[in-house]
Amino acid sequence: MASTIRGRFFQTLKESGGLRGSFWKILRGEDLKIGALVGEDRHGNKYYENDRFFLARNRWVQYRADRYWNYDASMVPPEWHRWLHNITDDPPTKVPPVPRKFIWKEHKENFTGSNKEYVPFSTTTKKIHEWVPPSH
Amino acid sequence: MAVSATMISRLAMLGRFSGLPVRTLPAACSQSQPIRCLHEQKNASTQTQSQCTSLVPYRNQSTSAAPAKKDGFKLNNAADFVVAKADDVINWARRSSLWPMTFGLACCAVEMMHFAAPRYDMDRFGVVFRASPRQSDVMIVAGTLTNKMAPALRKVYDQMPEPRWVISMGSCANGGGYYHYSYAVVRGCDRIVPVDIYVPGCPPTAEALLYGVLQLQKKIKRAQNITMWYRK
Repeated sequence: MASTIRGRFFQTLKESGGLRGSFWKILRGEDLKIGALVGEDRHGNKYYENDRFFLARNRWVQYRADRYWNYDASMVPPEWHRWLHNITDDPPTKVPPVPRKFIWKEHKENFTGSNKEYVPFSTTTKKIHEWVPPSH
Repeated sequence: MAVSATMISRLAMLGRFSGLPVRTLPAACSQSQPIRCLHEQKNASTQTQSQCTSLVPYRNQSTSAAPAKKDGFKLNNAADFVVAKADDVINWARRSSLWPMTFGLACCAVEMMHFAAPRYDMDRFGVVFRASPRQSDVMIVAGTLTNKMAPALRKVYDQMPEPRWVISMGSCANGGGYYHYSYAVVRGCDRIVPVDIYVPGCPPTAEALLYGVLQLQKKIKRAQNITMWYRK
């Protein structure tokens, strides 16, 4: 059934969770793709693979559903990042990552724009002092 | 912003939805406000601000909108909900079709072209290059900004219609980069135009620029222009 284009269409629709599931997937900005579930990370992001697609499209992540469309690529933890970007072929479910002391235990996403954002500071005094309008 | 570029600029003429009210925001925020920008910082306290080294006051100088609190101001929840939803719709329209003005100046422009090419395919985010500043929403400054080019850059920026953003791409545009000590180079395009997103790298990969565009979309999503207008 899946060999014909029409069959694949219906199979994709079915595996995406029917009409409602497909609607949500499209709304979240994802492709409707069939793939084998390779694993799931601590945060609930799911990783899929299908080598029918060409390289760089054959592995993808479906971000956790409770974030809706507020996801970010930095939600992918490092051990899955290396699999997702073809640095390795072994997913961390098959080959657990070697613990290193320079790899942080708790992966954090990019907090830019939130109140948890990283703000650098300078340890030197300012060289240039701005002119301030004398009004007010 | 296929439809919305003209539409919103027309609405802006009505004076109802001013594009980004922030840049013309009077520095009249009350003293209880957190320090948002340099001028208010000077007014807010008598500390030796010139010795202050934190970068927090400089953040969001160009685009942040702070509500001015009035005495006895009471928020109408229903109306606030409506304007927040209107904000959501307008932000959705704005971020879903960002049309960049290409300002390719150096090797970063090649990476910007890669971003446009099929592999990274910026078109799937609604990002389409426009050659005219009058039809574009975001300017990607890609490459070294020289002193000779700076007036042209500013002129092009001034020609863009009002809801406009700037992505500074690469070390040279961020802060001079390799040519920081050259006599002919502007040390960062944020000396010429207000920058929203800085993309680091020399040159940044097309993926990095893509991530910068996504960050800009997030920034647009956070904007609360009508809400702030209403609360004022």
